[in-house]
Amino acid sequence: MSVSEIALAEGQATSGCNAEFRRGLAASTPMLLGIIPYALVLGAQAAQKGLSVVEVPLMTGLNFAGGSEFAAIQLWTSPPHVLLIAAITLLVNSRHFLMGAALAPFIRHLPRRKVLPALFLMCDESWAVGLADAQRRAAAGMRPAFSLPFYLGAGLSVYLAWVAFTTCGAALGPVLGDVEKYGFAMAFPAVFLVLLRGMWKGFAAARPWLVSLVVAALTYLVVPGAWYVAAGALSGLVAAWFLAGDK
Amino acid sequence: MIDPMTVLAILAMAGVTYLTRIGGYVMLKNRTLSPRATAVMEAAPGCVLISVIAPDFVSKNPADLAALAITLLAATRLSMLPTVVIGVGSAGVLRWLLG
Repeated sequence: MSVSEIALAEGQATSGCNAEFRRGLAASTPMLLGIIPYALVLGAQAAQKGLSVVEVPLMTGLNFAGGSEFAAIQLWTSPPHVLLIAAITLLVNSRHFLMGAALAPFIRHLPRRKVLPALFLMCDESWAVGLADAQRRAAAGMRPAFSLPFYLGAGLSVYLAWVAFTTCGAALGPVLGDVEKYGFAMAFPAVFLVLLRGMWKGFAAARPWLVSLVVAALTYLVVPGAWYVAAGALSGLVAAWFLAGDK
Repeated sequence: MIDPMTVLAILAMAGVTYLTRIGGYVMLKNRTLSPRATAVMEAAPGCVLISVIAPDFVSKNPADLAALAITLLAATRLSMLPTVVIGVGSAGVLRWLLG
């Protein structure tokens, strides 16, 4: 692709910016069904641990990474152990390194001043739909494959829902009771399974995923805490490394 | 309303999390990967996704396991919204039926 073609493609992407942003909002809507109940539960648990309705949005708005917030709240004491909380946050969120690395080839052409703020909105959901969309567009021959406004639309709706509903959870906490019993927890695997199907390139390419699944599940059963994500993801990568050598 | 130690812990979390978010991009931005490393990075997104939901596959609740099987089947042929509705719906109904 020549420089002028790239410039042309960039121009087209900008003209449809609003449409792309709305497409991102729409893509993230089914996920909100899974996020909102979790947000309410987290807010309620945080309130139980003594966090105020100001501190809860401060955490979920600045950190914006649900898994690490659940882990931190489990370990929360008064006053909190800052180093322990920071370490567990790093452990749970270490998957972001891999996620950012997977996104890197698609966002390399964008200026750093746009990428660095945009990465603040990179959560499991916005990353997964943004990447799946970029892969689909790349396969269809569209350039640039990665649509920044689409990704921002998806990320922003998840962000606003997360901060708003964790705050509601903190305020309403005791009234809600156990939200998890209604089956909303299944929204999360449902979203991820559909995304995985979109990335499916045949059984051979999926063998590392199987390794990840087995190792993560076993680690989850045997080791307490959030180690299973790191263990599963890393073992899958090791498997991919060895399987790539077979060819 | 706002406790200084709580704010400090929250700022520590936020700083660590943001570094994990930009880390992978910053490290790989200006590199060309070997074919082997490319194969690893291509497998990475799926490995992360499946690891995050792995606990659902070994749930001790039979209703949730059955609902996961239904959701998996739905995910192979339907789009996002119907799959989520079927997943949440089947989990809700099966939990109610099987206690």
